[in-house]
This record gives sequence, structure tokens and C-alpha cells, in this order.
Amino acid sequence: MDAYHVTVLSNIGMISLIALSAYLLLVCGEISFGQQAYFGIGAYISGIATAMWGWPLWSGMLAGGLIGASAAAFVGALTLRINGFYFSIATLAFAEMMRLLLYVFRYQVEIGGELVGPDGENGFHGIRWIFENDISTVEFMWIIYGVLASVVAGMMFMERSRLGRIFRMIGQDDMLARMQGVNVLLYKVLAALIAGFIAGVGGSLYAHSFTYIEPQFFNVMLGVHGLAYGLIGGLGVAFGPLVGVAIDIGFLEAIRWIQGYRMIAFGGLVAVMLIFWPRGIFDEKRWYSIRRCLRRMCGAETS
Amino acid sequence: MLRVENLVTAYGKIKALRGVTLEAREGEVTCLLGPNGAGKTTTMFSIAGILRPTSGDITLDGESLRGLGAARVVGKGVALVPENRLVFPQMTVSDNLHAGAFSRRDDRKRQRDMEKIYQRFPVLRERSRQPAGTLSGGEQQMLAIARALMARPRILLMDEPSIGLAPIIVAEIFRIIAEINREGVSILLVEQNARMALKFAHRLYLIQQGEITFSGTPDELGQDEVIQRSYLGG
Repeated sequence: MDAYHVTVLSNIGMISLIALSAYLLLVCGEISFGQQAYFGIGAYISGIATAMWGWPLWSGMLAGGLIGASAAAFVGALTLRINGFYFSIATLAFAEMMRLLLYVFRYQVEIGGELVGPDGENGFHGIRWIFENDISTVEFMWIIYGVLASVVAGMMFMERSRLGRIFRMIGQDDMLARMQGVNVLLYKVLAALIAGFIAGVGGSLYAHSFTYIEPQFFNVMLGVHGLAYGLIGGLGVAFGPLVGVAIDIGFLEAIRWIQGYRMIAFGGLVAVMLIFWPRGIFDEKRWYSIRRCLRRMCGAETS
Repeated sequence: MLRVENLVTAYGKIKALRGVTLEAREGEVTCLLGPNGAGKTTTMFSIAGILRPTSGDITLDGESLRGLGAARVVGKGVALVPENRLVFPQMTVSDNLHAGAFSRRDDRKRQRDMEKIYQRFPVLRERSRQPAGTLSGGEQQMLAIARALMARPRILLMDEPSIGLAPIIVAEIFRIIAEINREGVSILLVEQNARMALKFAHRLYLIQQGEITFSGTPDELGQDEVIQRSYLGG
């Protein structure tokens, strides 16, 4: 595997996390244009933790995830009371506010005769954890996929649980969900919290993979892509968004001649999907038929 | 058991209910009849906690339900089968039934209730793994009733269960409602189908333009008069 492919694959893995984060809220019927904020928060927090405080990657990642989750829960608790439309706008506003704050956020310490830390618009250099610990880009790619696999497994497990059912109930008809005794706001905030955690962890990986981050990375296009991946790949099952990422980065990136037109192709793809398969390739119906086929093939009788 | 007193509910400045008073007695089928736009659904939504009344009170055995919010009203034993938005279409029939039992934590009893419901509605067992959206209108209505029963309600609120269904299925639905009632669940029914309602209701309320214009037993009012008054006003 050459460096280019490792980079593309690593990107797919990290972007998948923001896609999963947006997906979880989509399942609950909420469109967030702001998941990039928690991705960015995770990146900065974990970068500060490892590069400046000397924490190991795992603690940094956990801190990034937790801070991302708290921020998301805070924003969610304020904004999820209002209708879907306004929630989308509020998340976008918060994310842009976050990004602009990062432009003026300066917090540096001297390490080994060099200033390290976020330096406003100049970005955050020297997140060297992978060099210091002698981890190759290929090895880091496996770390990314390990994390991704655990998140996907966790989400697929969750979808079969009571919590997953509640999220789907809310997504399909939140008023009917309320009539069943579901505290809709509480569960939506919980979904935002989990989504914020996933995005924060994704951002942590991103910071350590690139070793340099700047506010501009976490602009609205990142969030829009995250959303679109779920809508392309499908909202029926947690690996849907991964299919969306693979199609965009894997397929469109691979076709060299399309490079300059990639955004046009991507926009067109989203438009076509929304017309023909509004809930993506692996939507609930298709996922249901797939599960039935699998059951028939195995001949297993599980409820 | 369920008393609604002087209930006023408004959409913005427009009062949809202008002081509705009614009572659903323990073990009875109480029917609320009236023309379109009279405030029937608004009454149901106010009781279920989906709409917030401006004034008046709703009590279940003396305990106020007003302002509790939909989620907690279900916990008190009041389940609503809404009109039109019946099921979670992309969830399987069995998941829909589980959804109805959301407010309960007693897993083993829940399993037993599920079994009872499948016995009462064999068609739901056949279709238990199908997405609920693929069921016919009548089956969806049955699923909605079954789901409400999973909450073990003391009183079941039903908003026009006969709407849009073929006469033979309407008869079946009403047979089931009567059966549920005989097993001890009180029922508050909103209907436009006066003929069916008169056959099953113990107590009758007519509602017009947000006000109750008649209350009593079906015998006190001839069928013709009910129909005339609930459709034509007066």
C-alpha cells in the first residue's frame, strides 16, 4: 500500500465517524449542520492533551470525545426543544461560532525550546504523538479502523436495543412516540450527546493523523458531507453512512479525471438520491429485506 | 373515573374548546359525537397531554392530569389511539407492540401480554416481522389498538377508529372494542359514525363548536335526532 492509498483510507475512516455522528441524529429525525464543531472540539482538546500535557493518545481521545459530547448535549438541550428546521439553523450557527472562536484561541506552552499549542488563525502545529511513539501511518490507519469498527459495532448493538428502538420511534413520528410515554426531548439530547462523543473521537484521530490542524478544517462543508453520507448510504442501519463515505471519497477520489468536478458530481449524486431513494441505499426497507434474506439463508429463528 | 371540567383549549387566539365538561365512567364506553371541526380531536389531545389547555381541569380518579405532558399521562393509565397517524411505518409489527409497552418495565408480564394480544389479533402474529407500513388500513388500526393495550391502560381513548375503513372491518373493530371494554378497560370514543357509536356506547356526549350540547344515554335521544344534531347542528 503506498502513502496515497493509506491517506485516502485513513480519511475514509475518520470522516466515517463524523458521518455516523450525523447519522445518529438523522435517525432521530434531526438534521444537524454542526457536527463539525464537535469534530473540531475533539481535535483541539485531544491535541492539547497529548502535545501539551503529555497525555497518551487514549486519554486524549477520551477527553476529546467527552468534551465533544458535553458541548453537543449542551447545544442540544438548548435547541432540540424547537422544531427541526430551527434546530438545523442553530447547530450551523453554533458550529460557525466555534470555528470563529478557534481563530482567536491562543494557548501555547514552550516544549523543547519550541512554542506548541493552538495559535489562532495559524493553526495548531506539532501534535507529534505518532512520531514520538514511533507509529507509522499504516499502523495509525489500523488504529483508526479499530476505533471505527468498535463504534459501528456499538451502534449496531444499540440499534437492536430498547434505546435504538426509541430513537427510531422518535425519528418516525415524535408525537406518536410521546403518546407511548417517551420523553422525547431527553432522548434527543441523549442522541446528541452520543453523536457529539463519536464526532469528538473522530476529531481526535484526525488531529493525530495530520499532526497539524487549523480552524478552517472544521468549516460547514465537513458537516454537510457528514450529513450527505448518511443520506446516500442509507438510514436503515449504521453501516449505511460508511457506504456513503466509501462512494464519495473512495469512488469519486479514485476517478482522477473527475477531480475538478468532484463537488459537482457529489452534489448531483445527493440530488438524485434524494429524488429516488430519499432515505439512502440501505434504508429501512432494504435493510429489512436483507435481514429477512440472511435469516432465510441461515434458517435461524430469532425474534 | 376520567373527568374533564370546563376545559378550554386554544390554538393561538382561536378557542377550539370553550368549556367542555364530560365524564367517562369506570367500565363504560363513553362516546363523543360531533361534526367535523367541533373539537373532538382537540378534546382527546388535551386529555392525552399533547395539547396544553388554557384553563379547566382533567382528572383521573381525582388526580389531575393537566400539564403532565403526554409521556407521563400514558404512565397514569390513559392510552390514546390517534386518528390517521396510527403506527410507526418503518418498524416491524412486533417492535410497534413493544413501543406501546414503553412506559412499563415488567419484562415478563410484557411477554405474556404480547402473547395475549397475538391470540386476540392472529393477523398481527402472522405479520409480526413485517414493517407496519405494509399492513392494510384495518390491520394498522388493529395494531394501533393492540399497541395501546400493551400499555395496560385503565382507559383507552380512541379517535375515530372507523375512519376510512370498509363496513365489514368497522364491524370487526367495534366487536374488538366491545370485547376490550367487557374485560374491564373503560373507553372514551370519538366518532362520526353515529350508528355504530349508538350501538356500543353507554353514555353519549354531543359536541358542537367546542361546546357540549347534549349528554345522556343513547336511549334518551333517538337515533334520528342524534344523527341530525351531530351532523346538521341544532
